[in-house]
Amino acid sequence: MSGDDCDALDRGDSDGQKSDKMFTLKKWNAVAMWSWDVECDTCAICRVQVMDACLRCQGESKKDSYGKQDCVVVWGECNHSFHFCCMSLWVKQNNRCPLCQQEWSIQRMGK
Amino acid sequence: MLKDKGQVTFEDKWPNMRPIVLKLLKQEPVTQIEWQDLFGAVHSVCLWDERGPYKLRDALQQDIMMYIKQAQARVLAQREDQALLKAYIAEWGKFFTQCNYLPTPFRQLENSINNISKVTSSSTSNSQKKNNNNNIEDSLVRKLMLDSWNQSIFMDIKQRLQDSAMKLVQAERNGESFDSQLVIGVRESYVNLCSNPVDKLQIYRDNFEAAYMQATEEFYKLKANEHLLTNGVQSYMKYADQRLKEEEARAHRYLEPGSGSVAALTQCCEKVLIGEHLPTLLAESAPLIKAGETEKLQLMFRLLDRVPEGVTPILRDLEAHIVSAGLADMVASADIITTDSEKYVERLLDLFKTFSSLVKDAFMDDPRFLTARDKAYKCVVNDTTVFKLELPSSALIRGSKGTAPESKCPELLANYCDMLLRKTPLSKRLTSEQIESRLRDVLLVLKYIENKDVFMRYHKAHLTRRLILDSSADSEKEEDMVEWLREVGMPADYVNKLARMFQDIKVSEDLNTQFRGETTRHDAINIKILNAGAWARGSERVTVSLPLELEDYIPEVEEFYKKKHSGRKLQWYHHMSNGTITFANSVGRFDLDVTTFQMAVLFAWNQRPLEKISYENARLATELPDPELRRTLWSLVAFPKLKRQLLCYEPAVQNPKDFAENTTFWVNQEFALIKNGKPQRRGKINLIGRLQLSTERSQLEDNHSIVQLRILRTQEAIIKILKMRKRITNTALQSELVEILKNMFLPSKKMIKEQLEWLIEHKYMRRDDEDINTFIYMA
Ligand SMILES: [Zn+2]
Ligand SMILES: [Zn+2]
Ligand SMILES: [Zn+2]
Repeated sequence: MSGDDCDALDRGDSDGQKSDKMFTLKKWNAVAMWSWDVECDTCAICRVQVMDACLRCQGESKKDSYGKQDCVVVWGECNHSFHFCCMSLWVKQNNRCPLCQQEWSIQRMGK
Repeated sequence: MLKDKGQVTFEDKWPNMRPIVLKLLKQEPVTQIEWQDLFGAVHSVCLWDERGPYKLRDALQQDIMMYIKQAQARVLAQREDQALLKAYIAEWGKFFTQCNYLPTPFRQLENSINNISKVTSSSTSNSQKKNNNNNIEDSLVRKLMLDSWNQSIFMDIKQRLQDSAMKLVQAERNGESFDSQLVIGVRESYVNLCSNPVDKLQIYRDNFEAAYMQATEEFYKLKANEHLLTNGVQSYMKYADQRLKEEEARAHRYLEPGSGSVAALTQCCEKVLIGEHLPTLLAESAPLIKAGETEKLQLMFRLLDRVPEGVTPILRDLEAHIVSAGLADMVASADIITTDSEKYVERLLDLFKTFSSLVKDAFMDDPRFLTARDKAYKCVVNDTTVFKLELPSSALIRGSKGTAPESKCPELLANYCDMLLRKTPLSKRLTSEQIESRLRDVLLVLKYIENKDVFMRYHKAHLTRRLILDSSADSEKEEDMVEWLREVGMPADYVNKLARMFQDIKVSEDLNTQFRGETTRHDAINIKILNAGAWARGSERVTVSLPLELEDYIPEVEEFYKKKHSGRKLQWYHHMSNGTITFANSVGRFDLDVTTFQMAVLFAWNQRPLEKISYENARLATELPDPELRRTLWSLVAFPKLKRQLLCYEPAVQNPKDFAENTTFWVNQEFALIKNGKPQRRGKINLIGRLQLSTERSQLEDNHSIVQLRILRTQEAIIKILKMRKRITNTALQSELVEILKNMFLPSKKMIKEQLEWLIEHKYMRRDDEDINTFIYMA
């Protein structure tokens, strides 16, 4: 190592953004995580976390499944939530919420 | 004609027949008339003389015997071996030819005798069958001829014949040449002589083959010991190899083809030349392996592979060599490799290449040797003598009472992989092809790692940093690597998560473009909104009081996101976020790449640029938890690459733990970047270092969670197996379990046992009442 600090470069004072402050913000890379706003992390039908694709979606064409964000969450009027894929199959057999047995009707869908 | 009946007798006809028979036996020319007369005479005798056929047969036999006696006398007149063989072969040749002619005129005789015996004895289905086809091989007269030869001449002189033939073979072994046709002729006579229809090779096998084998065995019993004593083992191996080839070729010459004799002889030679000297030969294996004598090993392998269990000890020697040489190498270079993951992986690969070429050159990549190499290399890779990863042994972990230390290899391998994929001096130095081939090397070593889950954890952490800091050297290679990990059998849910991370980055870029498109006020912000499930499951967030410049963006981003999506909640991960700030002092203006925590600390001086701020006040201003604040301040007062630090402080301490509440900090107004020993007025420096992915506390818990995850995976796998099998023995369960888990980690016997007990205790399963080593699933 020579006596250099890294990346010392000479650049004309073209920025022009003279500021009276000692430190000024130039760029901020902010990181946030999103998750479904659910009470229970796990889908009671397939036993997979709702943040992951349901078992069925994971199974079919593993390689492509991350390309589409189809496997969303659905909330019932009872506020219970499941993978939409899982619930669509469930209601064909039984039109009640698997957790509370109330009649199933969709309150909202995740997007 | 009727009057003639009864008057044609054997005695009438024989005097005319006999000279013709004798001519035929002696191979003298017979006219067509004589030949036809003989046919006619045989016919008449058989037709008119009731006792004719038997008399005819007996007379014929007498003459045949007489002829044979004369031949025998001619053969035995020869004193010398070669002459004896020559005479015998010649006599036999003539006689054997006649065996094909003489029976022809006597076909009527055969029919008659067969018919009579058919009447007298009712159980001769064999001869009945033979009667119907005129196959010369089945002929009675022919059998008579061959049996007579066998009983007289052969029985008397076979020992001399064999001895003479074997003497010739022996002479050939000793380098003398002779007419090989002599031995071949004797063998052929043995083969043709046999009239046993079930086993035509019986005489040959019982006599010639047995004598040949015995002579060979005796010869080499003597020679092998002699050679070993005078010339030593290594020379002996060459000798044995050469002799085995020679004897095989000789056997093809002298032994009957298609009789299995050649294989039997080869086996006999292998026994005498190799099998009986096995311990002596095997004693050479370890030293030869150690010395890398590939040519000699090749020879040894070729020899010992011929005898049962000959190769197994060499496999053991190879394995022992790889383990000890590999570990010795690692210990010898411990100083370098424990601190430099590039050097470490290079050493490991060098070893692999060395051992692989040994297996290739010495053992022709024989699958058994490749397996031994793999087994031994696995020991080297997973060894814990040079350095180890201490996994916690905590009573807190459900159902576990501690774990053994594991190899640090996966961690170093992941670090090396990061150096190749990140913008680093290493990755800049290498071409794209070189990087690819080195990544392939990483995958190769990974194959041998038992605790792959540790690699996965580190690899994912490195990838997270590269994606968030946008520091990948080549994004295409990044995605290739994900697919390669899939190809080498990394668990699908893990690989899918990595793939999902790339997808998230692309989605975030689009989102960012839209957000910044709305107003120019957003030019300074770059947002990444990522799937918590793929990126940060279980990681803890850190609270921080953001500088106002940053804080203002938060509601705007959240508002914007809500319009795009529904049913989602956002959590800010400020310990991961970062940025660039400009620092202006009396020397100049500098761009600093910093973490958001560093930003929060530095911005505290904006209101009071020249003041000293105590540790306590810094905490009040930033609201950072103690460990994070100490770490952040330390990175600003003692950044390794800087000659002049950004912050000054007093009193001096050795490490961040020693900052006191009243330690004071102030901005270094003399701060500058130094180039060629001179302070610069402009410049850019990255102060981020290693981006923090979780809190200090949860980092300590990282290894803890590896163990927890293993316990969970083991329990899941046990339940999965039991669900499928309903009942299963302990042994079968263990092997199925290892099969399921091997791409993540190797479950220890102890851990499996603990988890079985836990599952039994919690009524997921039970032991069979009859057999405590069988488990039964309880739904
Ligand atoms: Zn589901
Ligand atoms: Zn789905
Ligand atoms: Zn419900």
